[in-house]
Amino acid sequence: MKDIIAFWGYPHPNLIKKTKEEYKNAVWLDLDVDFNSPKTSILPENYCSIIKNIFNNALFYKERIIKILAPIGRDKCDSALFAVEILKNEGFIIETSVFEEKEYKKDKIYISSSNLPLRKKVELITANIIEQKDYSYLPQTKPSFGFWGVPPNDLSILELFPDDTHVFGWMRCVEQMSPYDLELEQFVDKNIGTVFFAQTFCAKNQLAKYLADKYQGLYIDIDGLSSNSTRAKIEAFLRLR
Amino acid sequence: MKPVYFLDAGTTWSKILKVQNDKKEYSIIKTSDIKNSDIDFEIKTGHSVDKTKGKYENEVVALSFGVDKQKLQNETILDLGSRDAKWIKFKNSKFQDMDWNTNCASATGATIEMLLKFYNLDINELKATKEKYPVTCGIFGLEKIMDDVSNGVDTSFAVSKFISGIAYNAYNFTKRPDRIYLSGGFCENKCFVDSLNFYTKVIPLGRFVLVDGLYNIYKNNMNNC
Repeated sequence: MKDIIAFWGYPHPNLIKKTKEEYKNAVWLDLDVDFNSPKTSILPENYCSIIKNIFNNALFYKERIIKILAPIGRDKCDSALFAVEILKNEGFIIETSVFEEKEYKKDKIYISSSNLPLRKKVELITANIIEQKDYSYLPQTKPSFGFWGVPPNDLSILELFPDDTHVFGWMRCVEQMSPYDLELEQFVDKNIGTVFFAQTFCAKNQLAKYLADKYQGLYIDIDGLSSNSTRAKIEAFLRLR
Repeated sequence: MKPVYFLDAGTTWSKILKVQNDKKEYSIIKTSDIKNSDIDFEIKTGHSVDKTKGKYENEVVALSFGVDKQKLQNETILDLGSRDAKWIKFKNSKFQDMDWNTNCASATGATIEMLLKFYNLDINELKATKEKYPVTCGIFGLEKIMDDVSNGVDTSFAVSKFISGIAYNAYNFTKRPDRIYLSGGFCENKCFVDSLNFYTKVIPLGRFVLVDGLYNIYKNNMNNC
């Protein structure tokens, strides 16, 4: 039985709305997330873990997936464009999406600067893509640290940070409903120490390293799961900064 | 007064500091022998430490406490050992920047020890050279050595080029400072120190900076009690 609407990145709000109306009872599945689905060998071994997640999840849930909403614009990445071609050949129905305009951009953020644990912040921001909820009630904090980047494949690294860590980078763009916004993506609070994260093999490493050097933050890239040493590196930065 | 002990258990070698009546005594033993030791360490650091037993301190934190921030108020301190490289930088005696190459062990001390044994070379006889292999990955570096040696290049010169490549990487890794204060086993590797001196001024601090840092943390904790 097909009951899943799968997606990655931030599909255009109009496409989400239309699909919700069309498939009222569907289950929504974020293919970016590591659900421990069995590994496929379609992609090269050394490749972005998030794109690998997309393939692993899509093929594992193939019999249940109605269609995939697939952002292919600058709001996602070039890898997504190629993924569409391969997944189409694998028999999936795909609706592509480009969400680059600014007309949906919200004026205020509430989750990124809240007092929630950092992992919870990231989970709420991504969950909000499909189910927009009002979080204006969340208590706001003065930041002690910043975390810049995309949702990491290994979400457990977020648990190393104090609750008053603010979210920057693409995730902040997502909260503000502006997933392609280079100016906003490069914004950080200059007065705090920020960890700049990118998934290994992702083009965003270019920006992460550059911004980390510019703002004397800590640049990290992680492939798959974080090693003890990477965690220790983050811990040291948080202790010493 | 009862002595207190501090341990920096590296991948190959463990550095121990014993302090009794303010007198410091340093020693080095093989990390594989630490298991047989019945010393009760106050604080431990290092890659080979069992973090579930006793008090553990992060290596970079230990490094930062192991130097005199008042003297090195705007300096970069690099710790280079068997397995990894880490550095911190102070500005006006406060932490400013750091990094820790956590993933690739093949370009650091353990590889050099292996090469010296493999080619039966004495580290003290290696001469620094400006020629270098690109040692982005140690395995590729090894391949270059083997290619050169098979083409008739002197083995000691080939290993020196490898060490020169590591020195160049260390210089770039620390963001090219004017001076590097060097901690760890590489302080005793003259070929490496001389190679790094081609790019920046090197001031060796010895192998016990991290255990000194643990002792300083211990003293701070005691003062705060």
